[in-house]
Amino acid sequence: MNPWRQVALLAKREFLERVRSKPFIITMSLLVVAILAIGPVISMISGGADEVTKVGLAGEELPGIEQELYDQAILFDIEIEVERFPTRAEAETALTDGRVAVVLVDGTEIVFHTSGSSRLTALVHNAVDTTLKTQALTELGLSENEIALVVEPVPVEVTTLEEQNAQDEVKRGAAFVGAIFLYISIIMFGQFVAMGTVEEKQNRVVEVILSRVRPWQVLVGKVVGIGLIGLLQLVVFSGAAYISAQFADLPDIDVAAIGLPVIASLLFWFVLGYTFYAFLYAAVGSTVSRQEDLQGALMIPIALILPGYLLAIFAAEDPDALLPTVASWLPPWAPFVMPVRIAAGVAQPWEIVVAVVGTVLGAIALVWIGSRVYSGALLRTGGKISLREAWKAAAE
Amino acid sequence: MLELIDLSKRFGDVVALDGAGFVVESGRILGFLGPNGAGKTTAMRVVFGLVRPETGTVSWNGGPVGPAERLRFGYMPEERGLYPKMKVHDQLVHFSRLSGLSKTEANESVDHWLDVLGLAGRGDGKLDDLSHGNQQRAQLAAALAPNPELLILDEPFAGLDPIGVESLAETLRGLASEGVTIVFSSHQLDLVEDVCQDVAIINEGRVVLSGSLDDIKNRSKKRRLTIDVDGEPWIPDMPGVEVVDGPGPSHCIVDDDAPVADLLAAANTAGTVNRFVFEPPRLTDLFRAAVGS
Repeated sequence: MNPWRQVALLAKREFLERVRSKPFIITMSLLVVAILAIGPVISMISGGADEVTKVGLAGEELPGIEQELYDQAILFDIEIEVERFPTRAEAETALTDGRVAVVLVDGTEIVFHTSGSSRLTALVHNAVDTTLKTQALTELGLSENEIALVVEPVPVEVTTLEEQNAQDEVKRGAAFVGAIFLYISIIMFGQFVAMGTVEEKQNRVVEVILSRVRPWQVLVGKVVGIGLIGLLQLVVFSGAAYISAQFADLPDIDVAAIGLPVIASLLFWFVLGYTFYAFLYAAVGSTVSRQEDLQGALMIPIALILPGYLLAIFAAEDPDALLPTVASWLPPWAPFVMPVRIAAGVAQPWEIVVAVVGTVLGAIALVWIGSRVYSGALLRTGGKISLREAWKAAAE
Repeated sequence: MLELIDLSKRFGDVVALDGAGFVVESGRILGFLGPNGAGKTTAMRVVFGLVRPETGTVSWNGGPVGPAERLRFGYMPEERGLYPKMKVHDQLVHFSRLSGLSKTEANESVDHWLDVLGLAGRGDGKLDDLSHGNQQRAQLAAALAPNPELLILDEPFAGLDPIGVESLAETLRGLASEGVTIVFSSHQLDLVEDVCQDVAIINEGRVVLSGSLDDIKNRSKKRRLTIDVDGEPWIPDMPGVEVVDGPGPSHCIVDDDAPVADLLAAANTAGTVNRFVFEPPRLTDLFRAAVGS
């Protein structure tokens, strides 16, 4: 029988037994619903910008103030609607109830409910100012054109030295969120591998399996089966996030242009990073015999992964700094740091090649080391054995 | 034919196997006996490549044993274990397919063995939901379902009720008659005597006695003598008599050239002889002599 067919059978069991389990289905469904909800929620929160701001007028009204408010609103890029109140008291009630955002009383006083918005203050103030000036200039006998010359704002061009591109900002943010996802996924599925290994040792089924297949097959089958669940979960989550982002109603952001590369990068680096760490997790998992002893053994992979995560945060802040740059070349951390640097647009093509090739080679080395430790430790039950003992035992 | 030849293995300072070897002909049942820690489990693990011996080889039908051969072997380890949360039927199919059966073959075989072992209708439950005895049966099914040519069972009778013991013995006899070679270890010597044609006794890593049970008994220089005079056990007064306690009247072990006629005459003068049996030794006698306790 082809050994890879057995590996496929082992992987299939790992995959199906976990995917079919109720806790997995429930957790996945809840998280997908939560992710799908984020977009519409963002849209609702930020949606205020699109809503019409109501401006109230009470008491004595300046002639032409309404038109001037609308004109100013265009300059301020705020959509407003003017509403009149017969008395100040009624206007204040409307303010308290939140029916209007600001009220201009007698053309001399701007009233807010709580703290005032400086933009609205400026808008109303400008309107009052312009109205009064127009009035005064008209009384002085200036023509409409002459008045316009005085009160119309002079067009001034606005230039920024550094383009603050919302698209780039969001792209880096998305890459950083991707790094967090990657970090959580690698730890989570790595731990599944370690726990699965201990479980098989603890309930002794390992001897039944090993009478049919060799240790490396069990190891590869487990890593592949659990890895496929990880991929499935990432695809589902990032798909949900992508759909969710469509509903977030983000102006000036091209969701597809940012989302698809980030998702592709996440999946790519997950495969590399997970492969690298899964064999390490399996090796340390095989050295203990009971789940209770596992936490201590898991410190080894965590100690490698955590710096990667911290370096990814560092890289998001300052992608060109020396530390994240060097870390992004090295196998243990490249999967976390390199995607962030790529998204920031600072990674050179040769750096990406070094990172990918290095991680692949590192993963191959860990497959070999992990398999050997795993073979040596698998049938040793009863206590914890050190990685070195397991390594030696494999040679016996 | 399974041959274990000159197997040696030590774990640190502990010598597990020290040149152990025995042969089982195809279609025969061999009882693999020995005190705790004698090396039975290690020898069985060697057959499945779970332990690599320092010296010695295992051969099957004259050829070396590799992964392909092992797929035709069924193994029930001493350390019982299956997946507790997995459906019984599903995991048995999984193990059978790992042994090379197709999906259809595996399903058919698993259904058959669940039925034979009295687990029909339990296949859809999780292993955890089965009683201890039924878990034991499921474990046996994992070894049997791939339809192996060689069955190696480490203490298969431990934990079974008398009815379970009888039905398993019946199952093993049936398999052997179909040509399956069977090796099992047990501490229940009466049972071994009842089920096995061959035995191998291992002590401190060495096989101290092996062959067909009948041959070994006949070859033995000892005989079991049971004499009952006036309803009381009667022990002859002669050198070299070893008294053994057993169920019913006391027995003694004597040399095979003991003067049977003289003993009977002596017993006759002592009283009324109700019982006088001079027979080959039992397996327990051979075992005791072989492991020297």
